[in-house]
Amino acid sequence: MISRFLKINRFTLAVGVALAFSAVGAKAEDGEYGVLMKTLANPFWGAMAQGVADGAKEAGVKYFQQAAESDQAAEPQLNLCNTMLERKPVAMITAAINSTNLLPCLKSAQDAGIKIVDLDNNLDQAVLDKEGVKVTFHIGSDNIAAGAQGAEYLANKLGKDAKGPVLVIEGLSGNITGEKRAKGFADKLKELAPGLEIVASLPGDWDRGKAASIATDTLTAHPDLVAIFCANDGMALGAVESVYAAGKGPQVTIIGVDGNVDAVKSIKEGRLNASVAQLPYLVGKQAVENVKKALAGEKVEESIAVPTLVLTKDVIDAGKEPMLQYVK
Amino acid sequence: MASEQPGFWARVQRASVERLHIRLESLVVLLALSTAMALLSPYFLSLSNFLNILLATSTIGVLAIAATFVIGSGGLDLSLGSVMGLAGVAGAFVAVNLGWPSVLTVIACILAGGIAGYINGQLVTRAFVPAFIVTLGMLGLARGLALVISQGRAIYGLPPETVYIGQGRPFGIPMPVIIFVVTAIVAHAVLAYTRFGRHTLALGDSEGAARAAGIRVEHHRRIIYTLSGALAGLAGLLFTARVNAGDPTAGINYELTAITAAIIGGTNLFGGRASILGTMIGALIMGVLQNGLTLLAVQSYYQQMAIGAVLILAVFIDQYQVRKESRV
Repeated sequence: MISRFLKINRFTLAVGVALAFSAVGAKAEDGEYGVLMKTLANPFWGAMAQGVADGAKEAGVKYFQQAAESDQAAEPQLNLCNTMLERKPVAMITAAINSTNLLPCLKSAQDAGIKIVDLDNNLDQAVLDKEGVKVTFHIGSDNIAAGAQGAEYLANKLGKDAKGPVLVIEGLSGNITGEKRAKGFADKLKELAPGLEIVASLPGDWDRGKAASIATDTLTAHPDLVAIFCANDGMALGAVESVYAAGKGPQVTIIGVDGNVDAVKSIKEGRLNASVAQLPYLVGKQAVENVKKALAGEKVEESIAVPTLVLTKDVIDAGKEPMLQYVK
Repeated sequence: MASEQPGFWARVQRASVERLHIRLESLVVLLALSTAMALLSPYFLSLSNFLNILLATSTIGVLAIAATFVIGSGGLDLSLGSVMGLAGVAGAFVAVNLGWPSVLTVIACILAGGIAGYINGQLVTRAFVPAFIVTLGMLGLARGLALVISQGRAIYGLPPETVYIGQGRPFGIPMPVIIFVVTAIVAHAVLAYTRFGRHTLALGDSEGAARAAGIRVEHHRRIIYTLSGALAGLAGLLFTARVNAGDPTAGINYELTAITAAIIGGTNLFGGRASILGTMIGALIMGVLQNGLTLLAVQSYYQQMAIGAVLILAVFIDQYQVRKESRV
């Protein structure tokens, strides 16, 4: 009899405990910013997180930050986003894994009067319009321009009449950032040096190892390869290893995008030829500064483009470029 | 010993094991964890956060139900996450690219999953390839097919009725939560109270004995793998409807999380013992852990470590109990 009583009571107890705690009630801290990143396993996001931290410190605002476990954890990131809303932030600065995964959460945020910021231009304005989500501002680098800068560097280095096969390693399929970089590169290269022919444009999934394999395979098919453009530095560094392992180090010009610490190191060592630095540190810093402005009721541009900078051994060694201080 | 009245704890335990088919320890862990989170974060105990946890658990939860059936029967399904991704893409393809009505999206998802599961079952029972290998192969096959169908990018823009399955909130409760809970209740009833369920566990306990008892072992296994695939298809539907896109990268590594939930919930990795209610508790332990740590602004890397630690701890407690029982 006692056992039957206790059996029922286990659940009553659970409910009781739950009720007791719900009485405590939630009290939101004033003016906290939620920052939701992709994975921090990439130095690019690490630098941006540093920019957010420094920007928040200078602006005197409180923030809390979360990141998904990988670049492909679309649903886990959505879950993170929903959970972050429970802390009732005043703004959500988000770097979505793709252009759709966070939409349900962003809608809830909008309904709750939370300002939404698109970090690094991962959200697609057309999709946002269709879903009725209004973003306070987009901030990031112009990825098409970054790709184009890569092509400009290559055309300058090899000359406008240069000929030969070129490999493009794209980002994750369907990711708009990688697509823009690859497209910006391809379009500009066609314009500046039509003799340089893109023989393959393959998704490297932002993965260093995968990019290394693609580079190896392409070198087998095209031993006279003259250049590789990668949609990020991680993949470019993977490609560098393959090219050097194949004994074609100086023959192939390799360009990455991001300007991350590893890339800078590799450029200084004379292995990676160039990286179009996105200055993620500056993106993070300016994001926080502009959110503060928007919250104070000041006008903020809807789309903020943070400049990019082509890093080469010469630029780094000379150390004269003022924007170098933001290369983290 | 037999003539003595069993102690209080033993009686509560026996009641829970007999009536609800769960190990009480996992429920205690869940309650303790929830209490700790409630004490640490003022945001934890609220209805909306509770629904958040259930919503975040729903896709994984449905996969975990599938894992419980398969593992309970002494099998293994490593293709759950990939099949989920394939099913979601198939549903989105039918809706967006073919423009077929929403009800066919639902059917396409579950059918695609079911077919993949059926193929797994056929290969396991007729070709005598171990389940580990068959489903590992299907993991690659299904993912590849999803990428082929979707051309590597998410198929966005499902009809509103389908999106309602993922984002609708009748009575304020998210649809995925309703579908998840109903599925869990049905699955629990099937596994715990029907002949099908008893045969499933008999199979996992001893295939030879099950055969001697007249159970059509191969036939039963095929049904279980098909069911597992169909449930993965349902998870794919929930995911796709939730993010309004058939994402070919959906569900990467989800099979591992689903299996973890089942094991934490007391399912024997080698079959013969399984409970859906236990698995649900396992899934909720992970959900609460993730949610609570996010609310506390703990980085996701530590969250993954915490879940790994809970898994080892759960199996340790389980084994400890089994040994204690065998000593008595």
